[in-house]
This record gives sequence, structure tokens and C-alpha cells, in this order.
Amino acid sequence: MILYEYEAKRLFREQGISIPQGEVAKSPSGAAEIAQKMGKPVVIKAQILALPGVEAGDARTAGSPEEAGRVAEGRLGKSYNRQRVSELLVEEGLPVQKEIHVAIRVDGTAGAPLVMASLERLSELDEEAKASPKVASVHSDPFHGLKSHEARKMAKSLGFTGDAAVKLGDQIHRIYKVYARWSALMAGFNPLVMTPEGNFSAAGAFLEMDDSALFRFPQFRELSLSRILDPLAREGKSIGVTYVGLEGDIGVICTGAGIGMATVDLISKRSRPANFLETGGGITEKQLAEVMRLVLKKPGLKGVFLNMYGGINPIHEGAKGVVKVVREDRVNIPVVAKAIGNFQEETWKVLEEGGVTVIKTIPTDQAVEELFKRLGK
Amino acid sequence: MSILIDEKTRVVVQGITGRIGAIQTMHMLKAGTKITAGVTPGRGGSRVEDVPVYDSVEEAMGEQEINTSVLFVPAAVAEESCVEAVDAGLKLLILITEHIPTHDTMRIRAYARSQGARLIGPTTPGVITPGKCKIGIMPTHLFTPGPVGIISRSGTMSYEMAGLLSGEGIGQTTMVGMGGDPVVGTGLVELLELFQKDPATRVVVVHGEIGGTQEEKAAVFIKQKMNKPVIVYMTGKVALEGSRMGHAGAVFTGKRGAMENKIKAFREAGVPIADSPGEIATLVRKALEA
Repeated sequence: MILYEYEAKRLFREQGISIPQGEVAKSPSGAAEIAQKMGKPVVIKAQILALPGVEAGDARTAGSPEEAGRVAEGRLGKSYNRQRVSELLVEEGLPVQKEIHVAIRVDGTAGAPLVMASLERLSELDEEAKASPKVASVHSDPFHGLKSHEARKMAKSLGFTGDAAVKLGDQIHRIYKVYARWSALMAGFNPLVMTPEGNFSAAGAFLEMDDSALFRFPQFRELSLSRILDPLAREGKSIGVTYVGLEGDIGVICTGAGIGMATVDLISKRSRPANFLETGGGITEKQLAEVMRLVLKKPGLKGVFLNMYGGINPIHEGAKGVVKVVREDRVNIPVVAKAIGNFQEETWKVLEEGGVTVIKTIPTDQAVEELFKRLGK
Repeated sequence: MSILIDEKTRVVVQGITGRIGAIQTMHMLKAGTKITAGVTPGRGGSRVEDVPVYDSVEEAMGEQEINTSVLFVPAAVAEESCVEAVDAGLKLLILITEHIPTHDTMRIRAYARSQGARLIGPTTPGVITPGKCKIGIMPTHLFTPGPVGIISRSGTMSYEMAGLLSGEGIGQTTMVGMGGDPVVGTGLVELLELFQKDPATRVVVVHGEIGGTQEEKAAVFIKQKMNKPVIVYMTGKVALEGSRMGHAGAVFTGKRGAMENKIKAFREAGVPIADSPGEIATLVRKALEA
């Protein structure tokens, strides 16, 4: 779960990182009022859920409350990354001596957090960023975290000396603490600003929570469901499955992520999947019925394709849920299912008796061909 | 031959009394796996499928022959359960559990390594050496003994790959589910190294997906070090930017984790990329006959 910048900044401030004075505005007049109250030039940023590297609209400076109102008017209602802007962060503009970009990301290959800092924008690709002579980087210890001496060394290698190196090292150390405290996948400054007086302030901030860690943070767990913007994806999450909306008209239900991705890839070669859906482990009759009804909600569907493997999943139970919906909801589009694994014979029987076309061979490419045949493609 | 597990493997199931742990213990026993003990704190003295249950891994090891742990424990206690297994002296841990916080996984991985233990997973279907030992949740009948090693980031894709190879009469040495998380205990390059050293493995099939950089690193390794053919199949070509495609690790943002980088790396390394699951068997056959 990605946080809005203003939410990330709250967590940063709790860890003693100074952030610019600012407030959230939801209207042009609101933005003008905030600028008026501050009595100085402001920076206005559209608030969307995005990490660095995703188009989110530039930060805009406004010299007067009137200008702040005009900038806000131009920004509100715009769309970036499939999201409509409804909130703006209005902050004091800071005099800038230097900008420092910092990112902490999980390095999957090293199995450790990778901390990077640079006076320039960091590449989204870890390898590319790390290889740059302008980037200071270190893998932190998963047990002890980033040590303060490592943070100071990073500051020095960016050319900071004396008191400035100590102060910058302290800011990098603190953001690492935020990252560790919240079990984050990613956190950073984009950028941290050093003012001519030698003070540091987090002008730009980002933080991505780890969905798997949300059980430790009930306040964010509550929020995470509402942060899924697609209503069908949100419903999927609430019944314990992953639904990703795509633009086509063939509904897809799979019992695993890998086979799910393979299925939408293969359907896309000649047609268009309406969605990606994977149940993960532990399906039940009830859950598969809910999943069928969820997928069928998308208007204009031409068919539904199920790709099920019985490993950890009792697919014979799931099949009962599928045929229940076909029967009760009088589904009148082709439903084609490939089912392989533990309890496959029972599964085939349930599906066939329920009017579902069953494919008993393994390669998904052949199964998808059968689906196309049924759809007259 | 095989990698990681074989007929000498003796298994303790951590979390054996849970719903999934108990069912999968039954399936593993049916497949011929030698499960000598189970562990659930507080349930010592009971039995699951006639396997004796102990309160701790240490107690189990005091009474039974054990060299490998498979874990079906809840995500919230995965870290402490793995640490317990490592402290008891086990050198191979297969962590089936999904949805473990990434920070926990990084600590489990680092701790296991510091003690000379190997972690497979999390979010893995497990490991199977067909006909000899099955540790995990995969449907046994799809796997047959033979000359192909399989490494997969996904459980269901590993079943598809093994099933279609078996259907063509091509068996497997070992299938390792690498796991679908951003951080896994043993990565793609390390698993390729193990298959490289296994004389019985003649071809390796890899299922990769969007997210991370393991495939890019593997491409370089294959080009520089691998002396046997590797075939890859990639999933996640159709994905929505920023959306996790079922696996916590299967996500791209801009260039980060994108499919293009991976395909490009494999092409540059001259690694054949199957366009569909069906094509995997064709490419493997070609490699075996070469």
C-alpha cells in the first residue's frame, strides 16, 4: 500500500525529520486560504498514490494566495496514473541550497535493504542507480539496520563535510528508522532540501507499506481496502483474492498467480482478458461462488475461463461453487474450465454436470484454444 | 541424482496440527516422503497421520532422525519458527507459508545463512524429487523421474511445466519452487548453480515473472557459467503497472521490474524463451536431443 505524500510525511515527522509547514487543500479557495495563512510563497503538489518514476504532475510554485487558487484549480480534477486528483498538498516554499535524493528499497537478490543517496534523481533501476559514481549506496544489515556511521559515510561521499555531513547522516539514519519501524517496502526523500542556513527539510517524501505486514498496523490495515481504487479489485480483496481489472471481455479465474499470469498472457495473443484473478491457497465452495459472481459483474463479458490446479487447493470444492452460480444466476455465456491435480476426477464430474465445458489436458495454450473455439474466435 | 532432497531426506513438519499442515502431511506421506516428526508448541505427545508430534524442533530431533524442516506455520510466527529450526541445527528449511512481511523474510534469510542453513521460499509450493521425496503442496502425479530440473517462481506454473513435460514422457530430477515474494531464501542463480553440479540434470527449465532482477542476473550467469541448456518461460506480459499480480514480488513500476529488461537479458544471453507453456516441451526436447 502506497501512502499519500502527506501521510508519509506524518510518519517522517514522528521520527524527528523536519518537514515543511503545510496543509491539505481540497478546493482552490482552500489552497488560497492556506497560502494566505502562511503569508509566503507556497509549493502545490497533487496527491495521488504513486512512487517516484510515475507521472504525478510537477510541483508548482505560487507567489500569492490568488495564484495558489489558480494553480489549485488547474490541478484538481486532473488525472495521473489512473487517479483523479482530489487533494493537494500546499506547503511553504523553501530556499534551496542543495537537494539530496534518498531511497531505501528491498534488494531481492541481496536479501537486504538497499539505501541510496545522490544529489541527482535516482534511477528506478537499482543496478543502474548503484553503478552511478554520483550515488552513495549501502546494503543495510537486516538485523541492525543502517548504522549511523554508515549514514554519515554516505553524506561524506556526497561531498558534505563537518556539521553538514553529521546533519545529513542523521536525516538518512532517521528515514531508515521510519522504513524499519513500519516494515516498509520502500521509503525515501524526493528530495531532502538543504537550505542556505544549513537546515534539512523533507520537501518530498514517499513510503510504500508492505501489505503482508499490515496485520501489525491495524490503523493502516483498515485504510488499505479503501485505497484499492477499482471497486471490483476492492471486492476481490475483501473476499481474499487478487483481482486486477484489464480491458477485455473474457473473464479469468485461476487458482495461482503464475498460471493466472500465463492465462491472461495467452488469451491476449488473440483476444482480450477482462481481468486477472487468482485465488491463492485455501479455496472453498463459497469463495469460488463469490469469485464467479465478482468476475461476472464486468459488463459485456463474452465468456469465462477457469484454470485450476489442485495442489493446496481443494478444486472439487471450488467447482461446486462455480456450477452453483452457473445454475442459480442462469449464466448464458460459455464457461470453460481446465482443472488438473488432486481430486481432478471429482472436479470434472461436478463441472460437467453443471454445464461447464471441461478441459482435461495440461497445456494452457491448448485450453485457451478450446475457449476461443467455443467463442467462435 | 537430484538436488536438495532425495531418499535420505528425513522431514519434520512445523505446524503439522494446522488444517493445511495436516492435509499436506497426508499427501506427502502418500508420495513416500519420510516424515519422522511434527512440531506444534503445546501439542507434544499427540499424533497426526501416525506421525509423532513434539513441542519443539529440538525435542523432535532428540528422538527422531531429521535433516529437513517444512513449515506450514502462520505468517506471524514464521520468523520465530525458522529461527527455532536453525537453532536446532537443521540445514534445510522449506517455508511454504505465504504473506510473510518482507522485513521478516530478510531476517530469516540472513539468520539461516549466518548459521550455514539453506532456506527455500517463502510462498513456495516446495521441492520435489519425483519418486524419492516430495516436500510441499504440489500434486504428486504430475511429476515423474527424469533428466530435467525445474525452477519456478510460481506453484501453479511449476505444476503446469512438470505436468506437460511428464505428459510428453520427459521426467524431472528435482523441481524447486523458488517462491513468489520480493525476497526469497535461495535465488535463481544459486538454484542454477545446484542444477549445474547435478550430473543427472541435463536441461533446466525456469519460470520467471515480472518484478525484481533475478532473471537479469540469471541470464548473465547462464551465459558465463552454465554448461547445460536452460529454457525459460516468462509470465506477466499482460499486467497493470503498480498492481501486484497475485505474488507480492510480481509487480513493475516504470522500468523497475519490467518484463522488457528480463526478455532483453535472456535474448542477449542466447537463452531460448518459450512463447507458451506448450512450447516448453518442444524446446526441452530439442535441447535433450542436441
